[in-house]
Amino acid sequence: MAEAKGHDYALFLGCIAPNRYPGCESAGIACSKKLGINLHPMKGASCCPAPGAFGSIDLNVWYAMAARNVVIAEKMGMDIALECNGCYKSIYEVNEKLKHNDDLRDMVNEVLKTVPDPTDPTKKGTMEFKGTIDVFHLIELYSDPKICGPDRIKESVTRPLTGTRIGVHYGCHLIKPKKERHLGDTENPMWIEELVAALGAEPVQYRKKMQCCGAGGGVRGYDLVHAIDITNEKLGYLHDAKVDAVTEVCPFCQLQFDRGQIEIKEKFGKMWGLPVLHFNELLGLAQGMSPTDLALDMHAIPVDPFLKKIL
Amino acid sequence: MAKAKGYSDPKMEEKLKDRYYYREYSNPDFTKKVHDLARTVNHMCFQCGTCTGSCPSAPRSSYRIRLFMRRNVMGLEDESLTDPDLWLCTTCYCCTDRCPRDIAPTDVIMAMRNIAYQRGIVPVNFLKTVQAIYQSGHGVPNNDVNRAVRVRLGLAKDPPTTHSYPEFLPGIRQIIDHWHVKEKADKIVAEAEKHG
Repeated sequence: MAEAKGHDYALFLGCIAPNRYPGCESAGIACSKKLGINLHPMKGASCCPAPGAFGSIDLNVWYAMAARNVVIAEKMGMDIALECNGCYKSIYEVNEKLKHNDDLRDMVNEVLKTVPDPTDPTKKGTMEFKGTIDVFHLIELYSDPKICGPDRIKESVTRPLTGTRIGVHYGCHLIKPKKERHLGDTENPMWIEELVAALGAEPVQYRKKMQCCGAGGGVRGYDLVHAIDITNEKLGYLHDAKVDAVTEVCPFCQLQFDRGQIEIKEKFGKMWGLPVLHFNELLGLAQGMSPTDLALDMHAIPVDPFLKKIL
Repeated sequence: MAKAKGYSDPKMEEKLKDRYYYREYSNPDFTKKVHDLARTVNHMCFQCGTCTGSCPSAPRSSYRIRLFMRRNVMGLEDESLTDPDLWLCTTCYCCTDRCPRDIAPTDVIMAMRNIAYQRGIVPVNFLKTVQAIYQSGHGVPNNDVNRAVRVRLGLAKDPPTTHSYPEFLPGIRQIIDHWHVKEKADKIVAEAEKHG
């Protein structure tokens, strides 16, 4: 059985999960282990780098820095798994672009030649993008019946989230642009809802489910009021649908929904108080992890109303 | 009367009043440059407006992605690059998924931002992220509150990234320096801070 062998992946952490919501990181590692997915840290990885900031300024640097991260996993001989849509955009997309565009690959390799080796920083000239691995978001591994699948998730649940209504925010860069991804429909996908249902919760449909959180493309830094206005609209529709929590698969979306609610209170005077949970955190709760083990106290919006329903 | 929108450059401001476009405003190289950077068929746009209709930024600002697509085809470089709305795209890729001509308008915007940056037209928040990554390898670096929580969770106080292995930072800086991005970012940020 798959359990005996398990599936091994290099874990790309990114920035916001380890540095702002460490519960996403610890839950990601602990939960996927129970599902037969073993995650191995990528020593010396950096920011993906931020697709909004670096992509807007110099695409070449974006390609080269993301490629450096990919090469670390190539040297480990493992496919990459990650838990942030922003990282997915950088790491997945650059990996695919470099595989299919010789000119880009040559340009990047020219620079990587001068960069220290991840197994031995004193060595140079060994970094080269070869295009030997694939990149996955953890949520697509959870959803894939060949790796895990909703049934296996259901088996791992010890504390079903029965009686809770959960809205799903897919985020943009996981599934869009659909031509460059392979994750199906982008107008009304339902596969994360299936995983939420596997945890025992009731997935809820709401208006403009596929709208952006508002944070991406550097807009959160450029024009905060514009960014949180987009978030505010979505929070209103989630509220209308009477959800107990919103779940997402991107720590940057999480930051925008979670801390964004504090900013919305400051700028627009409206307090939604809606708990925001990364799918890994939900999975952790359903697998019996305590809120302290998930560092849910790091959330700006208290998760207690949601916890009361399940604990 | 207060103006909703305008240019700080008087020459551009004058042109805003003039409703005609003249041949000399068009720079065909701009269309080509955007094409090369974005790797999309930007010249195929037939102005249907599906992009603007799909855009989450459009209902709450004067940002119109269709307008940028037109400016691109017409080679209107200055109008594109000096318009502050250029930076309101959240890169959600809704327009790209729905474009009936298989164009990636999002990537056209990213290409225009790249060209704007080359000309020194860029909001400082983008550059500050670059500076953070140059400094620590992370766009959002760790802090002491978070370190304490990480230890409580049984994680290392710093993630096994460049935070724990700073010996990899020189390599990252080398990549950024190869295109002189840090140098340019420092210059523009210092300039912006001088002018308050």
